[in-house]
Parts: sequence; structure tokens; C-alpha cells
Amino acid sequence: MGAWLNGPMTWGNAVVIFLWGAVFLMIVLGFVTYAIYFERKVIGWMQFRQGPNRVGPLGLLQTVADILKLLIKEDTIPRKADRLLFTLAPILAYVPAFTVLAVIPYTQKLYFADLNVGLLYYVALSGISTLAIVLGGWASNNKYALLGGMRSAAQMISYEVPLVISVVGVILLSGSLNLRDIVEAQSGGWFWNWNFLPQIIGFAVFIIAAVSELNRTPFDLPEAESELVAGYHVEYSGFRFAFFMLTEYVYVYAIAALTTVLFLGGWQAPAPFLEFVPGILWFLLKFAFIVFFLFWIRATFPRIRVDQLMGLGWKVLLPVSLLNVFLTAVYIEVFIKG
Amino acid sequence: MIRTEELLLNVGPQHPSTHGVFRIVVKLDGEVITEATPVMGYLHRGTEKLAEQLNYTQIIPYTDRMDYVSAMTNNYVLVHAVETMMGLEVPERAEFLRLIVMELQRVASHLVWWGTYLLDIGAMSPFLYAFRDRETIINLFNELCGARLTYNYMRVGGVKWDAPPGWIDKVSEFIPYMEGKLREYDKLVSGNEIFLARIKGIGKYDAETAIDYGLSGANLRCTGVDWDLRKAEPYSLYSRFEFDVPLGQNGDCYDRYRIRLEEIRQSLRILKQAIVQFPSSGETMGKVPRAIRPPAGEVYTRIESPRGEIGCHIVSKGKAEPYRLKFRRPSFVNLQILPKLLIGETMTNLITILGGVDIVVGEVDC
Amino acid sequence: MKGLFRGLGVTLKAMASPKVTTSYPDVPFEMPDRFRGIQHFIPELCIVCNQCARICPTDCITLTGKPNPDPEKRGKVIDTFDINFEICILCDLCTEVCPTEAIVMTNHFELSAFSRDDLFKDAQWLTDNNTLVRKDNNNIGAPAKGGAK
Repeated sequence: MGAWLNGPMTWGNAVVIFLWGAVFLMIVLGFVTYAIYFERKVIGWMQFRQGPNRVGPLGLLQTVADILKLLIKEDTIPRKADRLLFTLAPILAYVPAFTVLAVIPYTQKLYFADLNVGLLYYVALSGISTLAIVLGGWASNNKYALLGGMRSAAQMISYEVPLVISVVGVILLSGSLNLRDIVEAQSGGWFWNWNFLPQIIGFAVFIIAAVSELNRTPFDLPEAESELVAGYHVEYSGFRFAFFMLTEYVYVYAIAALTTVLFLGGWQAPAPFLEFVPGILWFLLKFAFIVFFLFWIRATFPRIRVDQLMGLGWKVLLPVSLLNVFLTAVYIEVFIKG
Repeated sequence: MIRTEELLLNVGPQHPSTHGVFRIVVKLDGEVITEATPVMGYLHRGTEKLAEQLNYTQIIPYTDRMDYVSAMTNNYVLVHAVETMMGLEVPERAEFLRLIVMELQRVASHLVWWGTYLLDIGAMSPFLYAFRDRETIINLFNELCGARLTYNYMRVGGVKWDAPPGWIDKVSEFIPYMEGKLREYDKLVSGNEIFLARIKGIGKYDAETAIDYGLSGANLRCTGVDWDLRKAEPYSLYSRFEFDVPLGQNGDCYDRYRIRLEEIRQSLRILKQAIVQFPSSGETMGKVPRAIRPPAGEVYTRIESPRGEIGCHIVSKGKAEPYRLKFRRPSFVNLQILPKLLIGETMTNLITILGGVDIVVGEVDC
Repeated sequence: MKGLFRGLGVTLKAMASPKVTTSYPDVPFEMPDRFRGIQHFIPELCIVCNQCARICPTDCITLTGKPNPDPEKRGKVIDTFDINFEICILCDLCTEVCPTEAIVMTNHFELSAFSRDDLFKDAQWLTDNNTLVRKDNNNIGAPAKGGAK
């Protein structure tokens, strides 16, 4: 990958890079399709049910059927909606979700963009999706959607801050914003070299803030089904709704990959004698565990309340993440430099 | 200066958390409710008016459909009223069967409440856990009277069916099973910090308010008022059994939650004793005149349904049909406190409070 | 935090435990004998006493009789017998009062149809609905056997 990315931009290179982008899009869509299937299966098993098992063998084609249904469904736009913003919102939600994936490194060799400010790029772009949710909620001209959009704005702003600050500790330890360098900094053979143990406070804050960023249970307030019916996407149907859904699951992919890279050592093996296993497998294993964890808490937890969410974000997570930065700085000053 | 205004939001009648076709019109200032007006009647079927053209046996299936989550207690309140009016004796075995099904029904009803309440709060699994165990009770009822929801089991003077062979044993197997499942529920939900933060201190009122509004059931007992008709005015055979009436102190949603779970335990306790004392043989139908014609007069009887005091007021002119029939439905009465509780709460708490009151819309609108 | 982790433990354990759902449309749902399903009608037993139509709380049964074609015998035989399943609530009262058990319950419960017209069942349909008939009919409301008049 590196050769292509750093080589001169010829027509041939451009085509290759474009094709890789297209292949990657297909992989992500495939992930979303089966993440939804996997989620429904896992939650089903946790509730003494089978989960989807009617469409295709073991229900494997269930999501395909669902997507097909969404695509051939009538596309409705409420008469009093703001047409431009209403149609813009799903696109605006999806584009940043896909573009942030560019900076995730999967192995030493396999990555799509070697950005020296990779982490900053991720955080900056993912903030745009919030805008899309607010826009969608506003443009729908529906009160539930508006409430959902407003909640989402408040939630995203509150949790973006601790999310970013919680990874500052990781940045300090590895001395780089480049995600590949961050993974390299966690090498050393054993799993205790991964950031999640030295940065345990940052890790905890990151996980909580990340779940909140994903709008998933227990922080699924913008779409709180039992209160706001469906929240910001209540008026969306057909493929526009599918785009919102897609965004949500692409962010699951992104957050799971980011957590793996930042805290779980990316493609590093947990012990030196396991290094014969290819790095990509380790990456996928850790990645799958994070995804499973997200589904697991969805099956277990109730939803937190809006004011408690704000309280948790500003009064607990923010001070704790700041404290983490301070502790990490002291540690580096005393033990590494000193 | 930014001009702000209140938002008028129509919650229901088509809303996932209004438990049927119930509607509340709320005025929101931001997310804070400044006014709430419940609108009911979307499920009104005129049961009381219909009853005036039906004879007493024919009314029984209609009572099934009032509080469809707890049809057995509804059956009982009607036949109990007619029996009181006519001074009928009910054979002991029939009375035992009635008591057993009513307590099973209380467990089933509280399970539905527990599951749907957690669903309102945002946890989806408890709903299916509760329904898995409710299914056991439903199967027991299905074996006993051939229906899973609208049982039409009791008759004036007795019950329609005797217990099939082995049924009582199945009930006694169910009791330890359910006790185990209650421990699982506690593990899954009752200690969950998010859940506790959601319901503690929400929807508070004191004993005086509760009595002023005529609340009953867990909605009354959560304020510490010791009023359970099974103890206060023992009907059926309740005076023969030992059980406690769980009480709260704070009058909030958490107390109501705790009381309902504890009531399941107490119901199991009653069932345990009832099975031991269950007469091994006997009639299930008392001596009832061919035509059921209560003497002219009025009667009001009340019992403790899972939702509170359900009452039946019959005015008879000595005919086969009641002159006037009135049900005091606990869901309807308990709901009256809602507009008061909702002022100053957020949208999220609306769902928590409404769920905590435990209404069944079929009974609210009757 | 402890409560959260205990909850996670419960759901994780549930993942491996046996499932409680049934494969309903593939495997028929078996109801106990007493189940009150769609009625089965036996015209030969019917004495046209009208009790079922009278007790029905929703008035969904309509029936007519005709003089017995056999001149030797007195009484009536059934001519038409219809149940409107749009309004039948399967309350079991008609089978309860029937003195001859001419109308009995079956274990069938699948009634959904594309047209309301399909829900109006006549005597022939009800007679042909003769599988899974309930054995124990315990018709407590009916007069004692033999004393119908």
C-alpha cells in the first residue's frame, strides 16, 4: 500500500487507488450487512430466541432482504419538510462515516492513508455526522425528530470532548498522532504493553464516550424508541433511512477499529509465542470482540436519562480524562525522561 | 432577545410506550413538561352499557376483555358480586381453584408489567425474560380453561372446569421455578445502576395525595398506606393464608417497582399454602338456580386486582339482566394522578411515570 | 458498577442456554384438549333448541330449523346454522349450554382470511371442521341428560 500511496500520482495509480476504495466500500457494506445479522442473532440468543433464521440458510440473507425492501420502498418527503436539508442530511451523515475509515491501519502493510495527524482527522470528521443528525431532525418538521436532533447535538458535543481528551494519554505515550505509530508503540510482545492497561482510566473513559458517540444503548437517546418513537429519523423512509442506518453501523466499524488500534495493540499478538499468527487475524479478533461487546450491552442495559447523560459527560468523564492526561504527563516526566 | 415558545406534543394514541391507544397532550418547554392532558376513550367499547342487555353469565366474557392482562380477577369480581347478591354458597374446591388462578394471574400480570416497564426504560431483554416465564402460567391456564388470555373461567356459583389431572402438581412445580427466575430478574435489573438512577425519586407523591386521588394497589402502598383488600376486607379464602403486604416509604417509581416484585413473591407464598390445603375432591359448581335472577337491590363488591381495587356495582331489578352495572377500574382511577405528577418532569420521565402507574388501556376505557 | 456487570453476566449466560421459542408455522402449535378453538357442528345431534343462539354474548350464531322430513318423528331438524367469526369471541358458552353436544370446540384456531366474507362459516363448513375435536366438554350449563324439555 505504502508504495502506491507515496508514489507519484499517475493515471494508473489513481485508478488503482480508486479501485481499492471501491473494494473497501464493498467490504464495509458487507461488514454492515453481517454486523446487523450478528447483532440480531446475539441479542436473540441472549433473549432465549433464535434470531433471524427464515431468509436463506441460518437466516444469513435476512439483512439482504431488509436492505432490498428499503431500496424498493417509496421515498417519502413530508410536505412541510425542508426538502434540501432533508435530502442532504443522510448524505452528510454517511460521507464522514466512510471517510474516517481511511486512516485505520489493519496491519503493518495494509492501510489506506498514512496520515501523520490520523487521530485528529478521525475526530474532526466524525463530528460532522452530528450536524447531519441535527439537520435531519430539524428538516423533518416533526417534533419528535426535532427533540431527537437536539438531544443528539447536546450529547455529541458533551462526549466529543472527553473522547478526545481520553486519547491524549495515548498520544503522549506514543508521541505521535499517526495511528500506525501508535500501534508500533504498543509492541513488545506481551499484551500488557498494549495501551489499555497503562491507560486504564483513559480506556474506560474512551469506551463510555465512544458508545455515546455511537448513539447506542445505554446512550441511544436521540432515537430513544420508547420516548421519541424513532427520534431524528422518524420521518425518513426507504433508502434515506437506510443511509442513516448504514452510518450508524459504519461508525460501529470505525469505533471498534479505532479502539483496537488505540488501546488493544492493533495487529500485535498478545504473547511472543503467538506471533506466528498473522497480524490481520489478531486485529479482526479484537475488532470482533469490541463489536460483540457493543451488542452485548445493548441486550442488557436500560437507557440513561438525558440530564444524567449530561451530568456524566461533564462532571465525571471530563475531569477524569483530564486527570488521566495529567497523570500520564507526570509518569512520562518522572519515569521515562527522568 | 430570543423568542421561545412552548411545544405542543401529542404523545399517542399511536406511540410505543403508551401501552395501547392512550394519548397524552403535553406542552413542553424545552424537554420540560408544563402541562399534560390525558385523553382517553380510544378503546371504549361500552362494556357497562352492553351488560344491561346481557344476562349475568353472558357478561363474564366481557369482563375478560376489560383488564386483559388480568382476566381472572375481573371474572371474579363480577361473579363475586352476583353471588353476594343472591347469597350463594361456593363449594370449597371451586373457591380454592379461583384463588389459585387469581394468584397465578397476579404473578402473570406483574410479569407483564415488569417486562414492559423495562422496555419503556430502554432495556429490551427483560421483556422477553418476563414473557418466557409468563408463558408457563399461560400454559397452565390454557390447560385449565382452554384459553390463553380471555379465560371466561368463573361462573356464578363456581368455576367452569375442575383442575385436570396433574394440574395442581404443575402449579407446585411452577412455584420454585418462579422463585429462581425472580433471583435472575434481580441480578439482571434490580441492581442495575442506570435503572436505579432512572426510577429513584421519580414520580413522588405522599400518602395524603394518594388517598385524595383514590389510588389503590401498588400506587397507594408505595406511600406506606397499608391497604390491601386481601388483608383489609378478606374475600374468597384469603383469611386462611399467611402473607405480607409489601409497603414503600417514598412513594416513588422505585418503591412501586420493589412492591410489585415483592408481591410476586407473596403470591407464590400464598400459592404454596393453597396447594397444601387444596381439597382432594369436591364439587366445582354450587347449587345455582336455573335462571340467575338476583333479587332487586344494589351491591358493591371489591377485590384486590394486580392493579388495585377493582369493584363491581350492580343495580338489579330482579331480572336476568342487570339494571345498571358499574365497574370501578383501578387503572382508570390510578391514571387520574398523572397530570399532576407530570408537571415539571422531562419527556423521559413521562414514560417512566406512566409505566410506573401500570395501566391497561382496556381497563381505562372499559 | 457491580449491578451492571451482574446484568451482563445474566445475558451472557442466557446466550448459551436452550431457546424457548417454537417453530410455530412449521410445526403446528399443540393445544391442550380443553382449548377453545373453532367450533365443530354435528347436524344429526341438533334439536334446534336455540340455546346456543340465545346464550351467545355477541349474537354471532344464527340458525333455522325445519320440520323433520321423516313423518314418523316429531320435532325439528336443523336447516341452516351459521357462525360469524368476525364477532365470535370463542367464549365457549354455546358449547356449554348445548344439551346434545351438537356444537363442540376443536383445537383449531387459525382463522385469518383475506376477506371478511370468508369468516362467515355455514353448517357445512362447521361440520367438515371435524378434526381435533375436544373430548372433555363438561357442559355445566346444560340441563341434565335426557331432561331437555
